[in-house]
Amino acid sequence: MFGNGGGEDLKKFSWTTMIIYLVLILLSLSVLIPILNLLAMSLSDPLKVHKLRGLSILPEGFSLINYKILLSNPLILRSILNTLFITIVGTALNLFLTAMAAYVLAKTNFAGKRTIMIFLVIIMVFEPGMIPEFLLVKSLGLLNTYSSLILYKAINIFYLFILMRFFEDVPDSILEAARIDGAGHFRIFTRIMLPLSKPALATLGLFYGVYHWNEYFSATIYISDPNKWPLQVVLRQFVVMRDNTSMLGSLTGGSYNQIAHLDFTSLQDGTIIISMLPLLILYPLILRYYAKGALEGGVKD
Amino acid sequence: MKIKAKLSKIRKDWVLYAMLLPALVYFIIFNVIPLIGMKLAFEDYRIIGKNVWVGWKYFDILFSSPAFLNVLKNTIIISAMKIVFIFPIPIILSLLINEVRTGPFRKYVQSVVYLPHFLSWVVIAGIWISLLNPVDGGVNVIRNLFHLPSIDFMTSKDHIRWVLLFSEMWRSAGWDSILYMAAIMKISPSLYEAARIDGASSLLQMRYITLPGLMSTVITVFILNLGFFMNAGFDQVFNLINDSVISVVDILDTYVYRIGILNAQYSYATAASLFKGAIGVVLILGTHFISKKISGKGVW
Repeated sequence: MFGNGGGEDLKKFSWTTMIIYLVLILLSLSVLIPILNLLAMSLSDPLKVHKLRGLSILPEGFSLINYKILLSNPLILRSILNTLFITIVGTALNLFLTAMAAYVLAKTNFAGKRTIMIFLVIIMVFEPGMIPEFLLVKSLGLLNTYSSLILYKAINIFYLFILMRFFEDVPDSILEAARIDGAGHFRIFTRIMLPLSKPALATLGLFYGVYHWNEYFSATIYISDPNKWPLQVVLRQFVVMRDNTSMLGSLTGGSYNQIAHLDFTSLQDGTIIISMLPLLILYPLILRYYAKGALEGGVKD
Repeated sequence: MKIKAKLSKIRKDWVLYAMLLPALVYFIIFNVIPLIGMKLAFEDYRIIGKNVWVGWKYFDILFSSPAFLNVLKNTIIISAMKIVFIFPIPIILSLLINEVRTGPFRKYVQSVVYLPHFLSWVVIAGIWISLLNPVDGGVNVIRNLFHLPSIDFMTSKDHIRWVLLFSEMWRSAGWDSILYMAAIMKISPSLYEAARIDGASSLLQMRYITLPGLMSTVITVFILNLGFFMNAGFDQVFNLINDSVISVVDILDTYVYRIGILNAQYSYATAASLFKGAIGVVLILGTHFISKKISGKGVW
C-alpha cells in the first residue's frame, strides 16, 4: 500500500517536471528562433536565400554581402555614429543630473525638501502630451538638433527615485566624517557618493543607455534631416516604411553582379541584427545590473 | 527670529540648492511648460500672435467625430484584451521557472525570455513582420505543416489585434515574470519543507504555498496595470500599423500623432490627448489609493 502510493507520486512528479521543461524549452525557442532566422537570412547567399524558410536557423550558403552593402551605406554608418553620440553623451548627462539631484534629495536636509518631493510626484502623475512637447521643442529652436534627443527625458523621475533608494543605503557616517573634515556637499557627492555607488550607477547607466539606444520616436518627430537620424529611425525607414531605395544607398559595397541579385528582405534583416548587436554584447551586464536594479527599485518598467 | 534662522540656514545650504537647480530647471522647462501647454486644447492655435480662447469647441468636435469614437473603442478593446490574456502569463511563467532547479537550464530560460524586453519596438516589429510573412514566415510554415492555408496576418483585420496581443506577450511576459520570481523567493523555505514532510507533491506545493504567497503581488500588479489602461501601446501600434488595418488598431495615441504631428491640427490633437490624460490621471490616482488600501503599496 505505502510503496504503491509513493511510487505513483514519484511517477506523477516526473511527468509534470517533463511537461514543465518541455513548455519552457518551447517558450525559449519561440524567442530565439525568430531572431536566429533573421541572422541566418542576413548571412545567406542571396542566390540561395529563397530556400530558407521561417523556422530555419542555419543560413543557405554563406555570404557577408548584405553586411558589406549595409556598412558601406553612408546613411547607416552616419546613423550608427549618431546613435553612439546620443547614447554616450545622453547617458552621461542623464547620470550626472539624476545622481546630483538624488544625492541632495536622499542624503541632505534643507528647507523646501518636502515641497520639491511633492512637486516631483505631481509631474510624474501628469504626463504632458505629445503636441505641447513638440511645440516646446520647436519654440526652443531645437528641431533638427541632437540636443532635442539628448534633452528629451533627460531625467527620468522613476529612475531618480530608484537612485535615491540606492543612495539611502550608503551609511551616513562616511558622509558625516567627510563633512567634519571640511568637505563641501559637491565634493562629498563627487569624491565619496559617486565612487561608493558604482553598481547603482552602472544599473542606472544601463537603464538610460538602453533607452537611448532604442529611442526612435522623438527623433521621428524632431529630426527631419536624414543625416542626423539615429539608427533606429533608419531601421524603421527600411523595415516599417519599406524604403528600399535608401537601404541600397550608393551601392559601393558589392560588384554589379552581386547587387543585381540582392534580396531586400535579407538586407532588412541585416539591419535589424546590426541594431540589436550592442544589446546582445552587453546582455550579460544587463542581466547582472539591470534586472537587479529593476527588482530593488521595485518598479515595473 | 525664526524666519531669520531659516534664511541663514538657506544661505548656508546654497550649495544644495545649486546642485538641485539643474534638475529643477529641467523639470520646469520640459515637464511644467508642456503641461501648461495642454491649455492649447481650449484655444485656436496661431502661428503669429496669441492663441484665441475657444472653450470646449475642440472637445465638442471630438465627441461628435466618428473617427475619435472609433479610436477610443479600439483603445479600450486592445487594452482589455491585453489585460485579460497577457496578465496571467508572467505569473504562470514564474511558477514554471520556479519548478526548475537552479542551474544552467534555469539560467538559460531566464536569460532568453527576458531578452525581448530590451529590444526596441522597431526591432520587434521587424522580427514579427518577418515571422508572420504570408509566404515563408515561421507561423505560416507551421500552419502549412498542419495543412492549414497561409494567412497574411499583418493586413488582416480579423487577425491584427491578435498580432498586437501576441507580440506584446512575446516582448513583456518574460521580463514581467521577474516581479513574481522575486515574490516567490520571499516565501519561507520552511513552508515547503513542512509540506514535503507531509508528502505533498510539487503540484500541491505550488497550489497551496506558492500561489497564495504570490497573491498580494498579483493584486498589486493587476491594479497598477489598470492605472495605465488608456496606454494601449503606442510604440507597438505605431510600428505595426498599416493602411489595411488602421480602422481596427488605431488607438488614441497614434490618432493624436497623426492629426497633431502629421496634419498639424494642434488644438484638436491636444484636446484628444488631454481627454486621454484626464482619464489616465483619474485611473492612476484611483488605483494608487486602492492599492495603498489593499496592500499598503502605492503606485509611487
